[in-house]
Amino acid sequence: MTIHASTWLVRRKWILAAVGLPVLVALWWAFRPEKLWINEKVNEAAPFDTTGGPQPILTGRFEGKSQQTSGRATIYQKPGREEYLRLSDFTTSNGGDVHVLLARSGDQSLAQDASKGDLDSVDLGSLKGIQGDQDYDLPRATDLNKYDAVVVYSEQSHAVFGVAKLEPF
Amino acid sequence: MFRTIQIAGALAMLTCVTGFGQEKAQPLETGTFHGKVHNTSGRATIYKEADGRLLLRLTNFKTSNGPDVHVVLIAAKDADDDANFLKSSTEKLELGALKGNEGDQNYDIPAGTDLKKFQTVSIYCERFNANFGAAPLQKF
Repeated sequence: MTIHASTWLVRRKWILAAVGLPVLVALWWAFRPEKLWINEKVNEAAPFDTTGGPQPILTGRFEGKSQQTSGRATIYQKPGREEYLRLSDFTTSNGGDVHVLLARSGDQSLAQDASKGDLDSVDLGSLKGIQGDQDYDLPRATDLNKYDAVVVYSEQSHAVFGVAKLEPF
Repeated sequence: MFRTIQIAGALAMLTCVTGFGQEKAQPLETGTFHGKVHNTSGRATIYKEADGRLLLRLTNFKTSNGPDVHVVLIAAKDADDDANFLKSSTEKLELGALKGNEGDQNYDIPAGTDLKKFQTVSIYCERFNANFGAAPLQKF
């Protein structure tokens, strides 16, 4: 009797292993849980020349605020580390004394119309045109970590026409 | 003697100029990844190389590692996190298996791809038909 029971147990263990092991392997294959802890890092270079000439470092699309504004704002770095802002594909509305500013994207003053006094910003100059590609020099040592948004702003009506939040290119 | 130097100089300049022209690639479209469920972030940019070939380059890129993850272009303006493209019957264009879940990487885009139609890059887990993260592309 005892001999019979023990052989049955041994056989059941074998069945358990025969069924359980493939199930475990299938589960492992499907979910590959070890990948939760394993990172596959790659670092492919651009297959084209990225040296020489200005390189884009930050970019963002305009969002219209008080006026329809659209297009792209990109900060380029020249080989001499000087930086400039380029607006491309750009359109905004006509307005009084419109300027291009750098501001903090989290600034509460950007949410509503605010006098520029409340807006912590760097003035890059008067808007050159309400349509088309245009460049603006950045003052040396502008803190782009702090000023991470380009703002089209009317000095006359204290209105934020549009904001482009900059993100690393 | 002077003439030879002149010609050599002109030739050197010419190869320099043409060489530079050949290596120039133009960014056409770019966008940043969003994906909360699988923590996907970084930038996707489509370049047109000087010879006309299209190339997708991921930079500052990070996603979660997983089984059978692919890079695809989808015919949609954007994709929800964890979207199932099989269920939503979204048209996909396969660019290849994800080379790494972290870091800069390049993928060739087949010639004649209509970028007006395929507007979003997706990091797609083929095994579970799950979108790990998507980058809607906009004109650079």
